[in-house]
Parts: sequence; C-alpha cells; structure tokens
Amino acid sequence: MNQKIFEKLHAENLVNDTELAAVKTAKAQELFSLHWEIKTLLYLGVLLLSGGLGILIYKNIDTIGHQVILLIIGVICAGCFSYCIRKKAPFSWAKVSSPNAFFDYALLLGCLTFITFIGYLQFQYTAFGTAYGLATFIPLAVLTLSAYYFDHLGVLSMAVTNLAAWLGIAVTPFQVLSANDFGSERIIYTGIFLGAFLIALAFISTTKNLKKHFAFTYQNFGAHIIFIALIAAMCVFDVSWLIFGLGLAGVVYFILQQAFRDRSFYFVLISVLYGYIGFSIVVVRSLVAIDDIGALYLGLLYFIGSAIGVIVLLINLNKKIKHASI
Amino acid sequence: MLAYNSQTLDNLEIKEAAEKALRKDCISAATYKAIETAHPVNFYTPNPIIKVGLFILTTIIVSFSLGLLTLMLLEAIKNESGFAGLCIFAGLACYGALELFIREKKLFRAGVDDALLWSALGLICSSAFITNHPSVETVLGLVFITTFVATLRFADMVVASVCYLAFLGLIFNIAVKLGPAAKIITPFLIMGISLAVYIAAKKIAAYHFSRHYHHCLTAISVLSLLTLYLAGNYFVVRELSDAMFDLQLKEGESIPGALFFWIYTVVIPVVYLYLGIRHKNAVLLRTGMILLAAIVFTIRYYHSVMPLETAMTLGGLVLTVAAWALIRYLKEPKHGFTYEESEDPSLADKLRLESLIIAQTYTPGAQPAGNDMQYGGGSGGGGGASGDY
Repeated sequence: MNQKIFEKLHAENLVNDTELAAVKTAKAQELFSLHWEIKTLLYLGVLLLSGGLGILIYKNIDTIGHQVILLIIGVICAGCFSYCIRKKAPFSWAKVSSPNAFFDYALLLGCLTFITFIGYLQFQYTAFGTAYGLATFIPLAVLTLSAYYFDHLGVLSMAVTNLAAWLGIAVTPFQVLSANDFGSERIIYTGIFLGAFLIALAFISTTKNLKKHFAFTYQNFGAHIIFIALIAAMCVFDVSWLIFGLGLAGVVYFILQQAFRDRSFYFVLISVLYGYIGFSIVVVRSLVAIDDIGALYLGLLYFIGSAIGVIVLLINLNKKIKHASI
Repeated sequence: MLAYNSQTLDNLEIKEAAEKALRKDCISAATYKAIETAHPVNFYTPNPIIKVGLFILTTIIVSFSLGLLTLMLLEAIKNESGFAGLCIFAGLACYGALELFIREKKLFRAGVDDALLWSALGLICSSAFITNHPSVETVLGLVFITTFVATLRFADMVVASVCYLAFLGLIFNIAVKLGPAAKIITPFLIMGISLAVYIAAKKIAAYHFSRHYHHCLTAISVLSLLTLYLAGNYFVVRELSDAMFDLQLKEGESIPGALFFWIYTVVIPVVYLYLGIRHKNAVLLRTGMILLAAIVFTIRYYHSVMPLETAMTLGGLVLTVAAWALIRYLKEPKHGFTYEESEDPSLADKLRLESLIIAQTYTPGAQPAGNDMQYGGGSGGGGGASGDY
C-alpha cells in the first residue's frame, strides 16, 4: 500500500489518525508472497518427473520387463492416492479446500499414473478384452469420482476432457478447433449432445447445490462446445442450417439468463460474441444468395454497423451488471 | 504530453489504494465513500472481460472499414503507393478517433481505445512496408519513433515494450555494420545499453513526474533485464555471430572469448535471483527464475551431459522436492516471505485458469467412439507412458 497517499489523505482530513496508523501497521507487516512462484516450480516438477519417467520406461522396456514397470507405476499411483486419502478433509457436497498445496499435485500425479496404468494394461495384455470403450470408461469413472471425492477442479477438467475423448471429440482449449473435423455430421451432433449434457450438469450442480463451484467448469466447456458445434452446423448444412440458427439463438438466450443470474461477465461476453457470429452467418448467407457487387458493399457496411451495435450492447450490459463476480 | 487528465489519474490511484485499504479493514466504509467523493474518477473502464470483447469488435470495425474504403477507392488507387497512402490515412483516422473518444467519452483502457491505438500504429508502420521495400533500419526507426510518441501520450505498457525492442533492434542493426570491430563490440554494446536502460528506468521511476508511467517502466525493466542476459548468453552470441558475420562455425567450434560468455550465461540468472530475494524485487526474482531455464537449455544444447529423460527425471525430482521444502519452510512467514497467497483475487483465479492449463497439458487422443482399431492411442497411451506431454 502506498503510505504517501494516505498521509496526503490524512492532511486533507479524509482519513483519521487511527486509520492512518492502521494503514502504517499493515504496510509494515506486508509480506512478500512467493505463492505463484513456488506453485509454478511444483507444477513444472510434476510435469518433468512424469514425462521423464515415461521416456525412461519406454526406452528401457526390454531390460526392465513389463511386470516391473506396471509394478512401479502401480506403486506410485497407490502411494499418491493413499497420501490423498490420509490427508483429505471429510467429504461434503459443498466446497472443501485442500489441506495443503502438495495434496493437489499428489492427486494429479496419482490420477495421471492411474490413466497410464490402465492404458498400459490394455495395450500390453488386452486386459479389458476387445471392449475398448471399457478401457476409456474406467479412467473416466475414476477421474470423475476423484474430482468429486477430493474436490479438485483440475481433475474435473481432465474428466470432462476424457468424457469428450470417449465420445470422439477433443475439447482441450488449444485443440478444440484444430483437432476436430467440424465438417463431419457425426462430430457436430456429438458436440451438440455433449455441450447440452455439460450445461445440464452445470445447471444441476447449481440448483441442487451439489459441488456448486464445479458449475463454472462444466458451463465453460459445455457452452464453448455447443456454440462451436451449432455454428459449424450453420456453415455446413445446406437445408436445415436455419433450424440450427434458431437452436443457437435459444442456447444464447439460456446462457445469457444464467450469466445474469450469476452476474458473470465472462458468459455474457461469450454468448454475445457467439450469437453475433451466428447472426452474421445468417446475413452473409442471405447476401451470398443475392450474388451481386452491391451485396459486397452491403456486407461490409453490415459488419461495420453491427460491430458498433454490439459494442453499444456490451457497454449497456456492462452497466446492467454492476457488481459482477467474474 | 499525456492524453489523460493527470488529476484524474492521481484520483484513480488514490481510489485503488483506498479500495485495498478497505479490503484490509484499515479504513471504514464511510471514509472510503468520503475519499471517493473528494477524489472523483470519471474515466470509463469496463470490466476486463468486456474489454476483451470491445477490443475484438473494434478491430472488426477497423478492418472492415479499411476494406470498404479500398473497395470504394479501387479506381483511384492505381498502385502500391496509393494503397500505402490509404493506410496512412486510415491510421491517422484511427488516431483521430482515439483522441476524440478519450476526450469526449473519457475512455481509459476500455478495449476500444487499445484497439484504435494498435490499429493506428500498425497501419502507419505497415505503410512503409508496402512501398519501395525499405531497409530494416528505416522500418525499425519508424516503429521506434511512432511507438515512442505513442508511449509518451498514452502510457501503454505493451507499446512501451515494442518501443524498447525497436530501439534495441535499431542499435543492433547499425552496430553489426560497423566492420571488423563489430563482432567484438556488439554483444557488449547491447549489454551496456540494456543495463543503462534498466538503471535509467529505476531512476526515472523514483521521480514524481513519472508516476503515470509506472507500468511502462516496469515492462521496460523486465525486458532490459532479459536483453542484458541474452546479449551475453553463449547460445545467442554464438549463433547470432555465426549468422550475422558469416563465420561458418563447424559443430564443436567456439567463438572467441567463449569462456567469458559461458561464465556470463551461468552467473547472471543467479545474480538476478540473489538480488531479487535480497531486495524483495518481484521483477528480478521472476526474470531470474525464467532465465534458470535458459541456463539449462544453453548447456544442454552444446554438451549432452546426460540423456534427456534422465535430465528430465532428475530435474523434476529436484524441482518437486525443492518446492515441497520451500512450502514446509515458509509455513510460518520467514524474513518477510510467505507462501500464503496475497489477498487480492486475481482474474486468473476467477477463470479457473489453473484447471484449464492442467486440461491442456493432459491430452487424451480423441478417438472416434466405437472404432474397431486396436486400443493403443486412447486416453492413457496417447500421452506415451507418461500420460501428460
């Protein structure tokens, strides 16, 4: 805190003596927080360690033997989980804060090694036979259970990613657009289904008060995936594209309602922007149908005018939610 | 000089300090209200998230307006210089709009003004590229001058960073052409300038008149610390001299004065860390942490001390144990350091950024449901035997 400012305010008689003294003591007791520095070190460490061990095992597979490797992975996994079970606070449907910083990473390492364990078992011994879905479903179940049981948002994100992978789409932030072929009908329908399912989960966790703080993660993944799938549908389908446009309008309305209830700027922004993209597709598709140079001018004018309109809209929405949380 | 009202900027700083004091219960709510009315802030600054949206939309408006202008003037623009003229005109128009919005609508870091500023700078500077293929020095000089003026007027930290880098690039390009002596002096010249800029930034920050440029000066100090290191880093010096002076170094061959550069490569990050911890300076500390990785990279690039996987495993082990030990050590605050989070909730926290990063580094290969291939690339196998590349 800037002490000079408060001395000046004190001189202006805006701050009284006790308050100035309180500011001075607070300033004197201010500590230098190394929280994020240490957390980064820890996360890097876990990443390097699991990556390095992975390659090490891979390279020495002939000399070590599969059983030994499985044993090592199993022991690490069991060690992490038993540490977490010993340290964890009792389960509750409300938010449970983690007992210490190491706990989060131990759980993460445990979950990662468990997935490796299952994958290895299946790859080497076909332990789950030819029911390939099962080999992906078991990690999914364990991740979901761990996320709820130990209250860990990172593991929950992993579970959502795994669910999407089980259904055949990639939802990790940098791959959602590059790794999926949104030209394919199947991906579009899966995306719409998955998005709706995740948004429903978010709705249930808020209304039923079941791990309410998980709602953001569900809503975030769900909203993006359903919006992208619907917009893809509007571009790809020739006959039924307008129906998907109406669907998009419905989802935008629903997410906006939710966003106003939670006072979340983030969801207001993304639903407005996705809605704007959808609306622009309708305009562009109609202009293309005109097929005239005048339509090009109209299109350019439309984008300039509509973007100004959306700016005014956003500024007004910003005023509407004054004291927002996000 | 500044486009913003200096009094209002002061009031903004007072308000922010008062908010912080209120959160810490140092002052009462009534006092806070009194301070707020005595020092009014009439800037328009929306929520940071809305700001991102406004930025995107303003960029859309600028680019489509440019498209529309080009289309309308297609007949008049006969050659490249015609289009360059249009770019300059559009850039000036953006600048005019920016000044107008700041004066009339009191925009302050609102997304719209940032987008206009960047468009103006981008359009004016890119006009130089379009015509008569200018030399690198001309372009860097133009970028330096425009961003320098823009920094003085709008105090934007990213513009200030670009300005510093353009300045350094200009010096580098001129120095390289100095003839045979250039090989030896260039690294030292860049080091000297970086150090001078860092010290100057620190000195300037102490003056009262520079208070509104506080963020710009921080950005420049971080960059000057980085360039101070990179100018003497063995990898950078060797590869750059090789490319610039056509030394045709063979693998294993070294540059003159290699020992000095090796020592420099290893010692400087440690010095940064030491000074950062000693003076509780977050800038030095974080830069030092990043540069530790640079040491590892540089050494590993030339000498394979151990196989990659062993290095990764050992490094991971060391980092994890060190972090764990630090957390244990700082359980009770010691020497003014703490592991506790500072109480201000950050935006990254609110957007659950950490969980997104975890999801990003963990990538289960997307496999079509019900595919009948041998399982091997799915959730576990996808990340190799580690599960998280």
